[in-house]
Amino acid sequence: ATKWHMPTPYGDANLPTQIAHQFAEEIKTGTGGELDITVHSGASLVKHPEIPRAVRTGQVQMGEVFIGIMGNTHPVFKHDNIPFLATNFEDSEKLWKAAKPEIEKQLDKEGMVLLYTVPWPAQSLYTKAPVSKLADLQGLKMRAYSPSTSRLADLMNTTPTTVQVPEIPQAFSTGIIDAMITSPSTGVNGQAWDYLSHYTDVKAWIPKNVVVVNKRAFRRLDKETQQVILTAAANAEEKGWNGVRAQATKDTATLAQNGITVTEPSPELMTELQKIGEIMIKEWKEEAPEEVGAILNQFYQ
Amino acid sequence: MEIALVSIILAAAMLLMLAAGVWVSLALVGVGALGLYLSGNDQIGLLFATSSWGASTGWALTALPMFIWMGEVLFRTRLSEDLFKGLAPWLGGLPGKLLHVNVLSCGIFAAVSGSSAATAATIGRMTLPELKAQGYSDRMAVGTLAGSGTLGLLIPPSIILIVYGVAAEVSIGRLFIAGALPGLMLVTLFMGYTMIWAMFNKSELPQHDAEQISLGAKIKALRKLIPIVGLIGFVLGSIYGGLTTPTEAAALGVFGALILAAASGSLSRSSFMESLLGAVKSSCMIGLILVGAHFLTLSMGFLGIPKALAEWIGTLALSPFELLIYLTVLFVALGCFLDGISVVVLTVAVVLPMVAQANIDLLWFGIYIVLVVEMSQITPPVGFNLFVIQALTGKDILYVARAALPFFLLILAAILLISWFPEIVTYLPTTMTQR
Amino acid sequence: MNALRDKFYLASGYASGLCIVLIMLIILAQVVGRFFGFIVPSAEDFSGYALAAATFFGLAYTFHEGGHIRVTLVIQKWSKRARYRQELVVLVFALALTSFIAYYSWHMIWESYVFEEVSYGYIPVPLWIPQIPVGLGSLALTIAVLDDLILLLIGKEPSYMPHEGEITMEEL
Ligand code: NA
Ligand code: NA
Repeated sequence: ATKWHMPTPYGDANLPTQIAHQFAEEIKTGTGGELDITVHSGASLVKHPEIPRAVRTGQVQMGEVFIGIMGNTHPVFKHDNIPFLATNFEDSEKLWKAAKPEIEKQLDKEGMVLLYTVPWPAQSLYTKAPVSKLADLQGLKMRAYSPSTSRLADLMNTTPTTVQVPEIPQAFSTGIIDAMITSPSTGVNGQAWDYLSHYTDVKAWIPKNVVVVNKRAFRRLDKETQQVILTAAANAEEKGWNGVRAQATKDTATLAQNGITVTEPSPELMTELQKIGEIMIKEWKEEAPEEVGAILNQFYQ
Repeated sequence: MEIALVSIILAAAMLLMLAAGVWVSLALVGVGALGLYLSGNDQIGLLFATSSWGASTGWALTALPMFIWMGEVLFRTRLSEDLFKGLAPWLGGLPGKLLHVNVLSCGIFAAVSGSSAATAATIGRMTLPELKAQGYSDRMAVGTLAGSGTLGLLIPPSIILIVYGVAAEVSIGRLFIAGALPGLMLVTLFMGYTMIWAMFNKSELPQHDAEQISLGAKIKALRKLIPIVGLIGFVLGSIYGGLTTPTEAAALGVFGALILAAASGSLSRSSFMESLLGAVKSSCMIGLILVGAHFLTLSMGFLGIPKALAEWIGTLALSPFELLIYLTVLFVALGCFLDGISVVVLTVAVVLPMVAQANIDLLWFGIYIVLVVEMSQITPPVGFNLFVIQALTGKDILYVARAALPFFLLILAAILLISWFPEIVTYLPTTMTQR
Repeated sequence: MNALRDKFYLASGYASGLCIVLIMLIILAQVVGRFFGFIVPSAEDFSGYALAAATFFGLAYTFHEGGHIRVTLVIQKWSKRARYRQELVVLVFALALTSFIAYYSWHMIWESYVFEEVSYGYIPVPLWIPQIPVGLGSLALTIAVLDDLILLLIGKEPSYMPHEGEITMEEL
């Protein structure tokens, strides 16, 4: 039997990791135990930023990464981190169909083959006070962790502030930050009710994880085994898009149960945010007019 | 190859290399490479490069050289002397006298620093030379430091609680609050043991005539503590006042120490350079060991040894209490060879579901894990507090480990106590976060 | 020759010390920036790179000064002849491992350069640049080990030995 290793960035409680375990199991059964993939969850084998390199160079055969982490490699990897471009799962699936050929092309250049993707719930606004219009955020300190979140914070008239994930609770409690945009799952995992009170469901963007395999390792397999992997990948992708909808509903409910005020954004706030979205989409397109333009044309069709 | 056989070969190789006098960091790299070789991996070099780059650029680790440098700066000022002069009149009546300075200042410094190696390095740099000069037992000076240095992990902020909180999805804020009472309990246990030891080993303490010090003189002596208390207050204040995160606070600490040194006139060009080169020596030593430990962790991950052990425990169908006993043995055994954070990262995926199934509170389990990890900091051959203290004193790791043994047993006693009285852990978080 | 060697080891120590100062400055800038409402872009990345540089630059100096620790309790009672053989074996083994470390560090740098790898943070930094100190530092460590191996072979005491067991606190 061949033994493969698959590092993933997030812990076992997360949907993507659960799907990864099922994916590995399906391949093991499908190949009669000939291909045995060990899933190393929670960045226990390879740290998250090193996973693309580890897969590309064949240190591990497979791996899962947050697509946005490769955003500096090529602008197409930012497609699911552009605010207010695709704000529901239908649009997000459409965007993924539009972006997939470009992503596959870029991954191929890096010696990797795309297997499947798992979306996260939409990223929404967490604050310590209610927000009904952009002016309510004026002058607050908002968490930023990338050029685009920082630009977004600027455009929202807030001060972008860098804080690492583990330090978020302390940062909120001590007033280092007053607002952040992240998924309801992250809020539930971090027990956000301990340190903040309001969740405005603006659904700014829907980021995804992607699972890739090293090109050489994949080609070395016989056609039959390759087919087993591709079938399992298709199943995993379907589980991801279905599972995330349930996950989003459940996590949002958990936030509310624990005392966080969950509200739909006011029309006024959404209009203001959409305007910011347009600016950022335009700026994204300028980074790589050809590839990004192709994605946008396909998406708006 | 059989996984049990591989484990035995690797443990034997590690012990052989260390006994032969191979540098600890290189021995870790060697055993890591051997493990990957035995697992049939042909990418050993690439894996080493990737893991060492990841291990040496960790943002959370930047606090370590900062705190080590802070210790070097403070050591060169009069502050360490003042620390003793301020506390001595108050501790004079306690059996064991100034040995308690180690425990108390580690406890206080732990509120600023998130790592046990940094706590032991900073406090030890100030206290060990002074305790030696005053004629205290070397073994007890080293033992109290090794033991109480581990408080850095339990008393918030704490790196290991952050790692556990992220993995187990337990609120880090609650974990920090939960660590406070057990931390105080450990301080009490350490001081209690020191007093009992002192009563039976009077010959190993400096012989002073018991002098009566007036309360006025005692209070006057406290003034000597103002600068150091001010420094710690400044750092703590900046964390809880919302100026910095705990990781960044370390840089503020060095900066404050440099200003204090300058203000007290003990900062010269040469003392600045000396303190910096001292920090280089300790941080490079620890840095390379961390690189080696990370590579060994990676190798263990590929071999699946910690996971296999944890899974084996899972098949035994144990009662919650039995489960804890088995897990403690597992963690202590792994903790001898891996650093504490690695033990948590490698086993948490298998252990947490078992713990949850046994209806053990995950918040409580976080504190339990910290105590177990604290023990691993002072067990040979791989124990970071031992490394730090060997670097500080030139005494061999095994000597330091023997000196720390009573404190290892005291932490074990603390685990028993929180098992019997889980409220020690859960009382503060449940009362403080209720709305 | 000896003057050159001393300079080499001191340079290793000072380069590392400079990087430690740099970490402090970057983090302080971030704290000050947060207070006044501006961001120091990629501060975490840069302090991480400075940390790697501090660690690797100083390896040779630390080795020369006997700062890397090892267990001497077993070997210290051995006869002079047995000690000579033991130190020889250990130094050859260390040379093999440090060469391995240096070789693959440069391999990593070369790969990052060829594949144009960039950091994922705020500022896309080409990764081979901050990786250069890792390569230089591990190469310097290999040279330091080789230096001591040669000393041992020509019948002198390796430089790390007199420092071991030296009680740092006795500097007082
Ligand atoms: Na602490
Ligand atoms: Na240990």
